[in-house]
This record gives sequence, structure tokens and C-alpha cells, in this order.
Amino acid sequence: MNTQTEIMDGSALALLTARMEGIARKMANTLHRTGRSGILTIARDFSCVILTAKHELLATAESLPIHVLRGPDIMARTMAENHKVLRRGDAFLHNSPYHGCTHPADHSILIPVIDDEGVHRFTVLAKAHQADCGNALPTTYMGAAKDVYAEGALIFPAVKVQENYDHVMDIIRMCQMRIRVPDQWWGDYLATVGAARVGERELLALGAEIGWDRLENYTQQWFDYSERRMMDVIRAMPKGRVTRKSTHDPFPATPAEGVTITATVDVKPDEAMIEVDMTDNPDSMENGLNLSEACALSAPMLAIFNSIDHTVPKNEGSFRRIRVHLRDGCIAGRPRHPTSCSAATTNIADRVANPVQAALAELAEGLGQAETGALLPPSCGVVSGVHHGKPFVNEVYLGCTGGAGSPTQDGWLTILHAGNAGMCYQDSIEVDELRHPIFVHQRRLMPNTEGPGRFRGALGAYSEFAPVDCDMTVAYISDGNINPAQGTRGGMAGGCSAQYRKRPDGTLEPLPACAEVLIKADERMVSISAGGGGYGPPHERDAARVLHDIREGWISLARAEEIYGVVVNAELELDYVATQQKRDVLQKAVK
Amino acid sequence: MGLRFAVDTGGTFTDLMVSDDDGSLSMHKASTTPKDPVAGVINSLTLAAAASGQSLNAYLSRGELLVHGTTHAINAIVTGSTARTAFLTTGGHPDTLVIREGGRMEPFNFTVAYPEPYVPRELTFEIPERIAVDGSIKTALDEAETIRVLENLKARGVEAIGVCFLWSVINPVHEQRVGELIERILPGIPYTLSHRINPSLREYRRAISTVIDASLKPIMGAYMRGLEDRLRVAGFLGRVLVITSQGGVMDAKDAAEAPVNLINSGPSMAPVAAQAYVAEGRADTLIVGDTGGTTFDVSLVRKGRIPRTRETWLGQPFRSHMTGMPSVDVKSIGAGGGSIAYVDKGGLLHVGPISAGAMPGPVCYGRGGTRPTVTDAALALGFIDPEFFLGGKMTLDREGAIAAIRKDVAEPLGISVEKAAEAIMALATEHMVQAIMDITVHQGIDPSDAIFVAGGGAAGLNCVAIGRRLNCRSVVVTEAAAALAASGALISDLSAHYQAMFHTRSDAFDTHGVNYVLDGLAARCDLFSRTAGIGATASRIEWSCEARYIEQAWEIDIPLRGSRFANALDVKTLEDDFHRLHQDKFAVADPGAPIETVTWNAEIRCRIGSERPGRLKPDTRSASLPSRKVRFLGQDFIDAPVYRFEAITEGMSIVGPAMVESDFTSVVIDQGAKAHRDMMGNLVIDLGDRK
Repeated sequence: MNTQTEIMDGSALALLTARMEGIARKMANTLHRTGRSGILTIARDFSCVILTAKHELLATAESLPIHVLRGPDIMARTMAENHKVLRRGDAFLHNSPYHGCTHPADHSILIPVIDDEGVHRFTVLAKAHQADCGNALPTTYMGAAKDVYAEGALIFPAVKVQENYDHVMDIIRMCQMRIRVPDQWWGDYLATVGAARVGERELLALGAEIGWDRLENYTQQWFDYSERRMMDVIRAMPKGRVTRKSTHDPFPATPAEGVTITATVDVKPDEAMIEVDMTDNPDSMENGLNLSEACALSAPMLAIFNSIDHTVPKNEGSFRRIRVHLRDGCIAGRPRHPTSCSAATTNIADRVANPVQAALAELAEGLGQAETGALLPPSCGVVSGVHHGKPFVNEVYLGCTGGAGSPTQDGWLTILHAGNAGMCYQDSIEVDELRHPIFVHQRRLMPNTEGPGRFRGALGAYSEFAPVDCDMTVAYISDGNINPAQGTRGGMAGGCSAQYRKRPDGTLEPLPACAEVLIKADERMVSISAGGGGYGPPHERDAARVLHDIREGWISLARAEEIYGVVVNAELELDYVATQQKRDVLQKAVK
Repeated sequence: MGLRFAVDTGGTFTDLMVSDDDGSLSMHKASTTPKDPVAGVINSLTLAAAASGQSLNAYLSRGELLVHGTTHAINAIVTGSTARTAFLTTGGHPDTLVIREGGRMEPFNFTVAYPEPYVPRELTFEIPERIAVDGSIKTALDEAETIRVLENLKARGVEAIGVCFLWSVINPVHEQRVGELIERILPGIPYTLSHRINPSLREYRRAISTVIDASLKPIMGAYMRGLEDRLRVAGFLGRVLVITSQGGVMDAKDAAEAPVNLINSGPSMAPVAAQAYVAEGRADTLIVGDTGGTTFDVSLVRKGRIPRTRETWLGQPFRSHMTGMPSVDVKSIGAGGGSIAYVDKGGLLHVGPISAGAMPGPVCYGRGGTRPTVTDAALALGFIDPEFFLGGKMTLDREGAIAAIRKDVAEPLGISVEKAAEAIMALATEHMVQAIMDITVHQGIDPSDAIFVAGGGAAGLNCVAIGRRLNCRSVVVTEAAAALAASGALISDLSAHYQAMFHTRSDAFDTHGVNYVLDGLAARCDLFSRTAGIGATASRIEWSCEARYIEQAWEIDIPLRGSRFANALDVKTLEDDFHRLHQDKFAVADPGAPIETVTWNAEIRCRIGSERPGRLKPDTRSASLPSRKVRFLGQDFIDAPVYRFEAITEGMSIVGPAMVESDFTSVVIDQGAKAHRDMMGNLVIDLGDRK
């Protein structure tokens, strides 16, 4: 049989897809359970993917969307271009935002899968956010860094870190000299290499069983299938072009009014294409907010996939039906070295994803989503210090919420931010207090911070924590202090984020949005995370849901009445007549 | 020895397995009576009494013990009929049950709601108090405020209370005091304290175990009392035990005091049965697959132990709540006889997770189902005899099954009905294989060293295909495979699990501290064996320690080699065992790096049943049944020999392609496979050439 022309039916495709996904899942499981740092093993801030030898994204397990849609392809291409001969046993370390990586804190291991004849067949990639990457300051999000030199991290544009399955110890030693808490880094590195090696081993076995040509044939037909699914979805969408803006708060080196991102979404059902124009945006800035190419491409795409039938596979095939237009030297485009992309995965990336999904919502009822709450408040900041002579540094996840209202559901509470999609875990207070010299005084949701809507956004979270017997530096880059997550289709904005120092006398001192602050032993850090935006008019919200929110203490009686038009009696039971009247008034006010 | 009963209440049937005075087994089935499940239990016993020609009273008076498996607890949760429960939490931390531990599945699927907290915020109360990580009291318990809260609970009609404070597991004094106050102010209201029900790290897991437990106490207390009373009235004077999520049994009255132990008891007995029926030493690993109508449950027996997990969910992962309790590690996926096959718009075949369930069921049941299922595919291939389903109690509509496969699968894919049916079986098999991979290969266990033990009514349809895909040594179908859980229940141990947190590092090992903790656990085990375990023929304690590399976040469970640490060599052994297990599970280790311990566990198991499981009464009918047309994997229809499972004698060898059938299941023996029965009555299938 000529394997090149074999047409696989839907059952053969389904079988091999199940096996490919199984391999990616196995990689992810290995990484999650063997990493050392909290950010990896508690928060699960990592991703595992399989690419073809032509650098096409094939399988992603359940990864962080901002990590994997685009970027792995560019990274794999960089690996192949910089290393003309790839051998079994090679592994490459990659964190360069100028060559496809998200940002320098995401250390990635790429391993080419080489068959017995020496032919490069697939590439496996495991990407893990580091607790520290050797920046000038103890944080992986250097919001104020003027350029890559000010960041200070070592940059690895697909650098060989294993040969013949042995570590290139020169590279390891360089990392250990630059990265804080080197033992923790070493543990995470081993876990990441281990995950990629597991993927390699499984793919070698699969190739031997199925045949390499047949596998390659499968990948192309799987892409074709995925493309057909995407085409069907787009053809069923209304034709239209919508421009929406979303503004990031002022930060160091931004204009005083902040950074307004403009996204134009063009849905073309006749061509079965969605185009997103991101070129009408400011030039790169002298701070860490600039997007890497990977994030600039992935952010609009994840917003599109958030907005359509979730069963369309995310791979090179469906990606063919999306075109994202970028501009060189643009904050939401392709950065030029030495532009800093230190915080590329979160702040501006969310300001790209959010208007795209909200624009899609404006196209038609049932599409898109509202805006997700902004990141990155001190409750997910990087804490560091020295306790009894021992240094500590790690990112904590003490309460960050912000899910956006969607066409059929309220915002997912623990979404974290648009690019994360809630995949990360939230810390256990006890685990944090055991691992770090911190004491968590409070962690609670904040009433009346949801973005009202027919389906409302998630509430914001309040957290208050302090160092134990030492001082503690908290580094964070909190967007959303001024510009909340907007609603869509008549939905309203969520609550803003904020941060304070709580002095020993209990008074609150407002702190800047982008800072590394030193919290003294007798002080506390107070962090408020942003709420999510609402979808649809709040007065159309099911009154039973409003009533439930009242009883649970999520919204006040006044808010229920003024915004949702829901009136209750003293027993907290629905007053049907008054509610109907109030809602009629609200409905007229809209018209 | 008197009669021993195992009664397993399932969704449709209540299965009864009776072990007679001579150790021989018999099976009986009654319909489940959802409104009053105990009635179904009594009905099944009435059937058994009738079969033995005795009155129920006379029959039951010969009874020595009765083991009951019930889904009453999980059903109460699913249907929302648990008690109105309040949650008392540390001041400043009211949202532990709301925020949970984060995490999500299917990142692009926004059609699924975030789960409501197990106890509504409306019934959550912050108590001013705080213990620190070292056990010191940071904020003393405000008793006046606590009393005010409790008075309020009374006014609000609360029926149960769960109390979980931060670090109560290090210093329980505040929880204990609140317990005393509850007894004083709300006498008779059931309550649960977190440090008692689940003394482990991570406040969400402890809190969720606590509130689930409290919420079940009224309903499960009533159920257990009702069960015992009605059995006594019917004439049964023996001991009444219930199956736990940990794969053991406990006295019904004890279960009523800690009902959180029952919620995942459904699938916990399959590995116990597999372990008993497949002699030790035949393989390091048994992979146990239990195929029902809608789900496929996989569990393991690993070097004589049944692995446990604390991550058991009430529903889908991340979309529901964890139980937080150690349970038998079972992976469940939506794949079974009722899984529906369809082709999507892009031309891709899907099998499950949507299921036709028990109603309407597969097309061939003729109960109104219109979409083809795995059972329909099996029928189309000849794997199931339409005239001999459930021993001939039900006739199946083969033509209907074929028409549905043609319309929904064959025509959209442009292939024949036979090929379509084969594709459905193959994809269902692959989904099951992937589920098995998740708890074997992905944890470093090589299935090629394993025996696949297939249970459940639909197990035989693809157990050979699964075994081959996993490259297993062999496949075993037990004699009573269709009632694997009930056969496990008859031989399960009376067990109790005790745990304590104690943190130490292997490079600064606190031998004295660890031994103190282990001695405490041993004393509790000893008390158990002298009270509940009295009369047991044997007892043993399984020791383990949850440990990790310094800075790692998740622990792995390391079996201990002894009950104390005598010297540095013992610590070294623990370290070595940890490195080896870590390498095994995750393909990496960091030999030389120190480890830290978190939780110490002792599980006492008292043997109250017989050492060996019983056999069904011999079947004297002919082993040969009429042959029929069957289409085995990758072949055309052939006239295949068919054998009666129960009548196959030891020493007979069956060479595939062939079919082996019992009243409850059909086993497909593909070409190249060979089957025989061993002394336990198992059908052992040698898969032929291995990769």
C-alpha cells in the first residue's frame, strides 16, 4: 500500500488522535508531579505539546492557552534552523521571546524525535514558568524593565542543553550562577527534561508500531479535519467587522493615560476566515509590557477559540482559518531585540484577548464573552526575602479570580486571567505557610465586585498576608486599578483591583500598581483582585440567580434592585410585582 | 461457619452473593428499590431463601455476616437530600469551600458552570480564632462569639455542623472546644471536626471531607439503623458491615458515625476481588477494568497493595468537589455498553462519553433507543447472541442495531456496517486503553508486566483487544465477573485507616518524633483489633508515609518496611525506597537529595472472611453450545465455536477464534488467543505472541 496516499477514515483518525493526546497528557502528568517550585507543582503553570517535523502544532494536552497556540511552532523552527543536524539525545533550552517563546521566565525544553534512520519526525516541547529566571530583581514579571538588559535574565534561543542524553554542564552551571534558589531551578529543569523525554520515548514507540510515514500522513489528515471543523463554524457566523478597545492602566514608561489596545475583528463567513488586525497599536515601550510574537499571535486566537464551539481541535489545521496581522516594533506585535517582553503573557496580552472576545460578542447573541479581570495583583505576586539566613523566592496564588460572563454561564470564579483560562491552581493557605515564612490573615471574595450581566462576571478577591519574623519583598504588576474588565452586549464592568500596605496601626497606604514593595515584619500586604465583566443586560438576569447572589452575600439588596431590577421582601423572597415594574423601567432606560 | 452474604445495591439491580456453609457461592438478583433500598436488600435475601427451600427467617438465622455495598450516601449528595449543614471556619477565611483549589479542565469550554460550594455561604460562619503553622495560638478562640453563632444556627434550623480550622491538624484545641460547645448548646445535632475525620494537610481537602461527613450523618445514621433493625426483624442475627471507599468494610454502626467513608464505595471492591481471585505471585500488577453500561472504572493491585488517592471527585474533576479522603484510586471514564457512536460534521467518529444509559439503552434493547451503541456494535459483529442475552431472559433486535449503525456511522464514513461496527468497538477499546494508561503508564507502571482482570457485564466484548493493545501478559475473566464487587465484598477485610501529620527531613531525621507518632498509630490499630476486630483470624498493619523532595509540592505514598525506625540505616532505606518509587512513577529521581515527610499512615486490616474466595456451584451441562456467525477483529464472518463458561472444565483448552458465554457475559477469544480455566474458576486467556 502506498502510505502517502492512504485516505484514513474517521475511525483511524480518532484512534491515532486519542494516542497522540495520551502522549501529551503523560508529559504533563510527569511535569506536574515532579517539579519542585510552587509555581510549577502547586499552581501548574506549565504546558506540554507535540509538533510535527514541519513545526506544526499537533497536540497540546490541557495546557495554558497563552502558552501554546502560537509560539511552539516558531521555537521549533528556531531549533532546526540553528542546529542543522539534529540527533537523538539532543535537548534544547529555549526562553527567547525574540524566537517564539512567550517570555524569558518560561523555560522550555525542546526535543527532536529522531527515528532509527536519523530522520527528524516530531518535536516535543515542555514549557514551565520558573520561580526565578535570573532577573535583576527577584521577580519573573519585570513590568518596569527598560529593556532585556535591565531584565537581566539569561536568554537562550534554542541552546543545546543535552547531547546524547547527557546535560551540557556548562549551560547548567551558567544557570546555577544566575538563577536564585538554584536547587529549586535544577529540580524544575530535571522535571521539564523528564517530561519531554517521556514524550520522546512514547513517540518513538508509536512510530515503530504505526510506521513513520503513516503517522505523518495522519497528521496532515488530522489538520485537514480540524480545518473543516473550523470552516463549518466560521461559515455559520454572521459576517461583520468590529473594532473594540481595551486600556491598560498607566505603568512606568507608558503614556499618562495608559496603553489603549485596539483590535479589529473581521469575520468572513464566505471565505471561512477570521482576521484580527492588531497593527493599529502603539510602538514598543521601554518597559516589560511588550508582547512577544508568540503572545501577540496567541492572545487573539485564544479569544476566538473561547468564543466558538469548544470541540473544534486547536492545531495547525484550525489555525489556517485565522489570520492575525501584526506589526514589527509594536507593543502588541513583533518585538525587536532588546525590547523587554518580561510580562508578555499577562497584562497587554489580556488587553488583546479581551477586546477580541468582547468584539465577537457584539457580532451576535450567543457568541464571544465579556472581558476577564486583569492580572497581576500582589496576591499572585512573587514573594522573596531572607528568613533566618535562608533566602526564599516564589510566586504565590493566594486568591485571584475574575472570570468573564459568557453567553450561557457566569464567569468561572478562579479563571486567574484570560490567557490562563483557570488552568492554574490556587494555593492552600496551609501549604503556603508551611513552605514560606508568610502568614495569611484573610482570603475572601468581595461582594458587589461582579460585572453585572445576564450572566455576571466573577467577584474579585481580597487577600491580606504578612511576613513571619522577617521582611518580605512582594513584586507585582497590577493592571485594572483604573480600567476594569468591561461587560459586553449590555453587561457591565467588574470591580477594579487595588493594593495597599497595612501599617501596624491598621491604616492602609495605597501602593503603586507596578512595584516591588518591601513589607516589614510588622506590616501586611493587602491585595484586591479584579472582578470579571458581565454578558448581556443585568435586568435580564434570571431573578432566581439574583436572589441566590443576595442570599449568598455576593451582592447587596441595593445593587440587586438598582442594577438587576430585582426587589425582595424582608424575608429575602422575590417580590414579583415590584421586580417586574423595576425591570420594565430599566428596559426602557436602555432603549 | 454460617452463611455469609454480600449485597450490592446498584442502580438497576441489587446483587446478592451468598457463601454457603461449604464455601460454595450462589448469585441472586433482585430489582433495586430506589425509594427504600433496604426493601431490595430484603427481597434479594428472600429469593436466596426460596432457592434453598427455607423460610426467610430460618434461612437468615443461619447467617453469620452480611456485607452491604450502598450508593445511598452518594445518591443523597447527588439528589440534594443531605442535611442542612453549617460550616464553621477560621475568621478571615470564609471562602475555602468556594475557591477550592482552583484548576479547570477543557480550557476553551465555557459552557460549564462553576460549582456552587458544598455548604452555601449563607450557612458559613467565621469563628474568631487562629492557630499558626507551629501549633501556637495566634488568636485565642472567642467563645462568646462562638456561642452566638451556635445560637443562630439553632434559629436557622441547621441539622448538622462541620468545623474546620486552619492548622487544627497540628493543634486541635480550638476544634475540640467548639465540639464541646456544640454538644452543650445544640445537643443531639451531629457534627464533624476536621482533625478527627481527616487529619491531613491542605485546608480545602480537610474542610470538604468534614462538611460532607456532617451532611451525611443524619441520613446515613437513619439508613444504617433501619438496615440493622429490619435485618434483625427478618431473622438475621449476625454482624452487619458496609463497604468503604478504601476497599475495606466497617461495622454499620461505625459507618454511620463517619459516613464520608462510604461515598466512593461503589468501585472500591473490584480490585479487592481481583486480588483474591488471581493468585499472588502471578504478576506484580493487576489492572482491573470494570465495564458497566455507562462507565468504565479502572483500578490497580500493585505488588499486593491497592493504591489509594486523595483526589476523588464527587463528579467531574474541577467541576465538582473532592472528597479529600483517601480512597481506592479509580479512574472512571464515560465508556461502556451504552456509549453512543456518531460521526461529527467533519467526518470524525466519536464513541461516548454520551450514553444511552439504562433507559432507553442500546437500540437492540427495543426500549426506544435510536442511536447506535457499543452493545449494538457487539451484536452486529455476533459477539452477543440475540437469543441468549442474560441467559435468554431478553431477546435483542439485531436488525434494529444494524440499521442504526448503518445510518449513523457506516454511511457517513462511507464504509460497510461490519467495518463500522468494528470501528466502534476499536474506538471504545482505545478510550478504555487510554484510561488504563492514565493510571499505569503515566505513573511508571508497565502494563506488559501486568494481568488484565476484566469485570462487569460488558467486559468480555473487548478484554482481549484491550489486553493486546496494552501488551499484557494475559487476561483473566473471573467466574462471577458480572458481580465482581459482590464477590470482593465477601472476602474483604475489616479495616480502619489512621493517619497523623509529622514533618521531618531525612537529613535531620527526628527518629524519636517519628517513632512517637508511629507508636500512637500502632496503639490505635491495636485498640481497633481488640474491639471491632475481635474474633478476626488474622490482622496486619500496612504502614506508609507520604513524602516528597524538599520544595516539592505533592507527596507520594511510600510503603514502610517496619513500624519503627531503629537507626540511620532505616532512614536510608526509606530514602532509597522514595528515590526508587519516584523514578518508577515519573521517570526521574534525584538520588542524594533529602526528602521530607508530611503524613504517616497505618491501615489495620483484620481478616474476618475466609482466606480464599469461594467457587460457584459446578455446572454439569455440556460445555459446547451451538456455533454461530461471528466477525472477529480484522476477519470476515466465520462460523465460530461457542462454549458455556460455567461448564468448561479445568484442563480444557479453547483456541481462538471462539466465544465463551455465561448467563451474564460474552467473552470474545480472538484469533491467536487461547483460554483455559484455572483452579479458581477464572477464565485465563493467553494472548498469544507478544510485542
